Amino acid sequence: MKEILLVRNLSVILDSEEIIHDISFSVRSGEALAVIGPNGAGKTVLFRALLGLLPYRGEIYWQKGIKAGYVPQKFAIDKTLPITVQEFFLLKAKNFWWPGKEWLLKLVHELKAVGLDESVLNKKLTDLSGGQLQRILIAFALVDHPEVLLFDEPTAGIDIGFEETIYTILHRLQKDRGTTIILISHDIGIVYRYADEVICLDKDMLCHGRPTEVLKPEDLAAIYGEGAIYKHGHGHHGLGH
Amino acid sequence: MDLQSILIALTVGLASGAIGSFIVVRRMSLVGDALSHVALPGIALALSYGIDPFFGVIFFILAAAVIVWWLETKTALPADALVGILFTASLAVGILTIPDQEIIESLFGAFPTLPTGMLLLIIVGALGTTFLIFYLAPKFLFFTFSEELAATKGITQKYNLLLLVIFAFVVALGIKLVGTLLMGALTIIPPIIAKNLSRSMKSFIFASSLLGALIGVAGVVAADYFNLLPGPTIILFGIILFLLSLPFAKGRHYISVFR
Repeated sequence: MKEILLVRNLSVILDSEEIIHDISFSVRSGEALAVIGPNGAGKTVLFRALLGLLPYRGEIYWQKGIKAGYVPQKFAIDKTLPITVQEFFLLKAKNFWWPGKEWLLKLVHELKAVGLDESVLNKKLTDLSGGQLQRILIAFALVDHPEVLLFDEPTAGIDIGFEETIYTILHRLQKDRGTTIILISHDIGIVYRYADEVICLDKDMLCHGRPTEVLKPEDLAAIYGEGAIYKHGHGHHGLGH
Repeated sequence: MDLQSILIALTVGLASGAIGSFIVVRRMSLVGDALSHVALPGIALALSYGIDPFFGVIFFILAAAVIVWWLETKTALPADALVGILFTASLAVGILTIPDQEIIESLFGAFPTLPTGMLLLIIVGALGTTFLIFYLAPKFLFFTFSEELAATKGITQKYNLLLLVIFAFVVALGIKLVGTLLMGALTIIPPIIAKNLSRSMKSFIFASSLLGALIGVAGVVAADYFNLLPGPTIILFGIILFLLSLPFAKGRHYISVFR
């Protein structure tokens, strides 16, 4: 498999505080990489650096011409913005002013995949509930079929039913489209189920490898302290699908 | 009827409303409103060298746009305070250096009597810029909406600079008619009216652009009829429309002030 992302000696310093210290890793095409770590470990900062939103030291190489989708953990919108859901998706369309019927059909298809129907398109984006907005953001990241998906906390703040939907989506993306997935998670269950590789981050890179090899419960406890990470259902959950 | 002024008001109004809609959603109204003050020393300099003030205005305003962008994105300095100082300093320098007989006209605008070439430059410039703004609208909007998500599409800070430069150019086009103190307002008033009336982004940008033209032309006609200065008449007409639009505000973000 080809390497889609290469990170070498990456450090991020914000306001003279070092958030990430000298980490190196690579991601192969089609692989799923999970980034875990306690709050404030620099996980989201790592994503922002990978997207070129923050200054950094070291090297970040994306494979040339790669398309990335990003689902941020927090998404603040100005409540007074008069933007509809359809217009939000149009930001990614080739033709914002006249998108055409074909584009609209594709969009409805992507919405169905996250459990929404087309009636949501004419709503104002600022009128959506938190759960609906999360679905919209996922569909938004996927609508132009990116080769890489960066997903910050897929299951934070959503209901159990939709958690399963996200698992299904991630699984299908990997299987059907060969999408490379890089995700941040507190949820060790997701990591065991979906990640080929895992990185433990707490400013430094504390572990890197296959989840079953590097994520021994006693190691996790040593790194993050007892109870810092909850591990739901490893063993009787997942793995068997 | 002064056809020249009406043509300028119409075309510059279209461009003002279009670009202003992005300045307002980016919450830069105050910067936008005051940026035009920077034109004043440019006018003074151009007058003292005997060249058309327009070229002094263009130079100073574009420079100010780049400085504002640099302060806001490339430095950790308190941008709002420094921009305020820059703008008022320009005003002070301008007032002291512009000859007395030109001062009212520079501040509040006048019915221009331009050579045909200059008139064409303004009209073609304004129409061309309006098209450019509509063409770039999705990029500006994407960037405004979420810098993080826009980054995945390669839309970066340079679009913020482009927005400010286009904005500065539009302001420069209208300064002769509307004046340095008030031209910024012609870009801000149409979008705040349009925001009260619109439920989608497309209708917001269109409405803002059309309102810019309407306010400009109606203001010029009224100023001509009542023999008033065009700048203040245009702005007051816009503010009356804004007050009339308040009851239509969706989401009640203005009404809640009165509860």
